[in-house]
Amino acid sequence: MLDAITNYLHSSATPGEAGSMTWATIYILIITIGISLAVISMNWLERKILAHMQIRLGPMRVGPHGLLQPFADALKLLIKEDIIPENADKLVFWMAPVVVTMTSFTTFLVVPFGRQHAVTDMNIGILFMLGVSSLGVLGVIMGGWSSNSHYPLMGGLRSSAQMVSYEVAMGLAIVCAVLMTSLQTGTGTLSMIGIVQAQQQQHVWFIFKMFPLGFLAFAIFAIAMVAETNRAPFDLPEAESELVAGFHTEYSGFRWSLFFLAEYAAMLAVSSIAVTLWLGGWMRPFPTWLHGPIWNLAFSYVPALTFLVLAQLCFVGAARMPKIPQMRIQTVGLGAFGALLGLVALVLLLPGVNERVQDIYWFTVKVAFFMYLYIWYRGTFPRYRFDQLMKVGWKILLPTGLGVLIATAIAGLFPQISSAILGVLQ
Amino acid sequence: MSLSPLIRKILLVDLIKGLKVTFDYQKPSEAITEQYPLERPVIFERYRGQPRLKVDPESGSSMCIVCNLCALACPEQLIVVKGERNPATKRKEPVSWTYDLSRCMFCGLCAEACSTDALELTQDFEMALYSREGMVLDQAALERGQEPVRYVK
Repeated sequence: MLDAITNYLHSSATPGEAGSMTWATIYILIITIGISLAVISMNWLERKILAHMQIRLGPMRVGPHGLLQPFADALKLLIKEDIIPENADKLVFWMAPVVVTMTSFTTFLVVPFGRQHAVTDMNIGILFMLGVSSLGVLGVIMGGWSSNSHYPLMGGLRSSAQMVSYEVAMGLAIVCAVLMTSLQTGTGTLSMIGIVQAQQQQHVWFIFKMFPLGFLAFAIFAIAMVAETNRAPFDLPEAESELVAGFHTEYSGFRWSLFFLAEYAAMLAVSSIAVTLWLGGWMRPFPTWLHGPIWNLAFSYVPALTFLVLAQLCFVGAARMPKIPQMRIQTVGLGAFGALLGLVALVLLLPGVNERVQDIYWFTVKVAFFMYLYIWYRGTFPRYRFDQLMKVGWKILLPTGLGVLIATAIAGLFPQISSAILGVLQ
Repeated sequence: MSLSPLIRKILLVDLIKGLKVTFDYQKPSEAITEQYPLERPVIFERYRGQPRLKVDPESGSSMCIVCNLCALACPEQLIVVKGERNPATKRKEPVSWTYDLSRCMFCGLCAEACSTDALELTQDFEMALYSREGMVLDQAALERGQEPVRYVK
């Protein structure tokens, strides 16, 4: 038993490749829990960062610096009355949040958190992700239509129109990256792990490949992915001043929280597509420039160092708490949380764990950067009008995407083309 | 600044400027939110709050001379002052003072009208009560003023 576990942990295969159902189940459980935890922390971070950007403090009362606020919110949502409108289409109303949540969680099946850390290495991975995440639109339309109310219907129509039209530009940008995978080997790949390995072999992240083509494709994707997930400044379907809450206006309690969960999971999913395709997936920064055993060792300490810094921040926060009896529990709690983080850092320092967790760490850091960008955009940009949104999608992103795609294809074939021309000339 | 509008648009210059502004605001120490019960708020000098009757610090007697000007000045007529002449000092001294806070709108006309500066509207603001009973202040309450409330669980 123990041998089987250690054997598997020493191999470098995903559960899908190893054909092991047990490990696949364990991975799926870990990923589900991880995504939920990420959504919870994202909830807290979004409120905090957004508040700081607006010179406010954000949640401060529930737990130290509002750390327990997401849990309080979740509890509130869980014990709220579950209302289904009388004239709603009950079955479809019930199905919609399930569809949205399932599709956004299913996409994580193929996300490679590391060479071994994906549930499976599908050879059509990126296509699978796009397809499944597009199915989420169905849930949005179902929710909007079945509510039998004006605002949800309008919101559902808006978000489905938006998601469908931005999918086109998104697809073009993705094809650019897929084209780049075939540059040295001659055969491209749609597998998420294969795409990262192609970047590893070509010694460059695709964002810097054939500058500025890779960067342009990335920029198109980065804009389209904000629109795709209905986030500010493209959050028209949820435009509070116009449509109350968009397609989930009639939802409350647990069903609403499923929509919330799905939205953030979808944000994580598209961010991980961007990271995989353009930012080198699980690779650490500068794998070729700063190579050698010393740099490897130095970079392998970064995860533990991050947790140590977080623990240190917790301790400083605990020390700076107001010294009054009412805050004593919070101070102790924050200190304990810091100690927990420090313990995680110590575990990460163990050589075996360290090796296996590094790639997950770098992937997570890159995704976290995108999540910060989401919050940053939301704190900065005013909302687009709907015709402006469609104009950006169809008149700017789509033609640019097509142009970048053609240019990438020509640049990729340039050696062959030039030799052919030279051959004709001679 | 010299970039043409088209290039500015393509390079998203304005958007990046906006991002920089919000990024710079992020320092938590810059937040202007006050953690009210934990820390006292900053009250401005001209804020008009809880009324107070001053007492002469030397003699300990009230500075009010029952001239009735505050009662006349009050648009809500919520001040009622009654006084008697003290035969010893030959000064008029207040016998009963009532100030109905529940009707007060803190216009400050009474404090302005006061000929001896005995009545003032202080910067105390914690006047919330659970019933109307305590809203009518008598002379003792007005002279005592308000003690800052401590919030204890």
